[in-house]
Amino acid sequence: MSMLELKDINLHFGSQPLLKDLSVKVPSGGRLLIEGESGTGKSTILRLILGLVRPDSGTVCIEGEVLNHRNVWAMRRKMAYVSQDMQLGRGRVEAFIREIFSFKQNQDLSYSREKAVELLEHFGLPESTLEADLENLSGGELQRVAIIITLLLQRKIYLLDEITSALDQNLKSLMVEHFTGLEHATLVVVSHDPLWHEQGFQTIKLSR
Amino acid sequence: MEAAPDIALVRLLLGFALLLIPLGLSLWLRLRIVTGMFVSVGRMTAQLFLVSILLIYLFEWDNPWINVGWVLLMVVFACGSAIMNSGLKFRHFFLPVFAAYLIGAGGVLIYFTGVIVNPDNLLTAQLLVVVGGMLLGNSLHSVIVGISHFFQALRKEKKRYHYLLALGAGQWEALYPFFRESLLAALRPFLANMATMGVVFLPGMMTGQILGGASPDTAIKYQIAIMLAIFTAVAASVSLSLFFTSRKGFDAYGVLKEELFRNDSRE
Repeated sequence: MSMLELKDINLHFGSQPLLKDLSVKVPSGGRLLIEGESGTGKSTILRLILGLVRPDSGTVCIEGEVLNHRNVWAMRRKMAYVSQDMQLGRGRVEAFIREIFSFKQNQDLSYSREKAVELLEHFGLPESTLEADLENLSGGELQRVAIIITLLLQRKIYLLDEITSALDQNLKSLMVEHFTGLEHATLVVVSHDPLWHEQGFQTIKLSR
Repeated sequence: MEAAPDIALVRLLLGFALLLIPLGLSLWLRLRIVTGMFVSVGRMTAQLFLVSILLIYLFEWDNPWINVGWVLLMVVFACGSAIMNSGLKFRHFFLPVFAAYLIGAGGVLIYFTGVIVNPDNLLTAQLLVVVGGMLLGNSLHSVIVGISHFFQALRKEKKRYHYLLALGAGQWEALYPFFRESLLAALRPFLANMATMGVVFLPGMMTGQILGGASPDTAIKYQIAIMLAIFTAVAASVSLSLFFTSRKGFDAYGVLKEELFRNDSRE
């Protein structure tokens, strides 16, 4: 059984077809890289998997179950999502993380400040970032905080949309190395970066 | 204390002479508000004269059913105005906002008249119509701010909302920060207004009562009570409006429905 499967997905954006007969299977622990020019629907695939966009036809299956309005809330519990242009919210970083851990779907998880600090330092951010205001973080800092949150949630599926776009070369390498090192995680990566390309992931290339 | 003298119509016309100053400024600075100014002043004058005629009859009849009907009509107008000014579609929002206003502002109005003022008959025109108008009128702007802030923020910060859903948030959990910020946006100006009342400006109800011959201590007590009532009505109406409208505003996947917004309302 695949961890993730898109079956015959068709989607229009206005009158223009965006995705046409797209089918792909990703096994548990598998890695999928989605490449293509801007506007070819790469990010839309991640939003389809999250149930934030619905296909005109075709199905999204997660662990063999077809995604629908009844199970979407529980399915999102299996995924973690980071995109290139995050809007995290307002308030202190740690308060925001605690709020995420307080969600009903996340209540079996416990927030560990030690683990958060460990990840912050691993990705080149000081412990004081936890006390910082989300609105005062730079694009690169915000992106790393979002990535750290997804890692703290320890999901089965990671949906990563251009997550290395605001990072320097060293941090990019560190990030790619960290995610590829997550043994049981299923990764779906949207990126133009050759670093991801070099990892030998299963790849789909979208075109207009 | 005696009531203030009436203003003769000729003297009221002299009041309109004051408009020569903004008119001159508008022409000199090319503000292009002359037409707008005449339309607004004309509407204000005509509407107030019509209301005064209506009030004369409402006071003369003083029928509880007519008074309640009049308040309901005011609620309908207030809802229409709130929705039209929020950039949202009337048909999706009228019933939830009407219900919110009716419960929120209507409940506070009954408490104000029945418990605080405690007259023999709480359905009199003097209380129900006048205080109802004051309550609805003063809470309208805040309700517009609350509703439009909520839906426009959800539209503008769609990625933030989607991110919360993607992190496992339930519908209410993902909406909660937007709900909180919208309620604060609606209430904050009101809090600032209350904090400066009596120092920076004398409020309308109090001024009106003093001009009408009431003693300042009665006027102040009414003013304090009405401010508490308006603040509570705003908090209740905005909360209930957001609560009721948020039930209709999203699909089963928790995604905001784009068809809620009028075409002239931009993202």
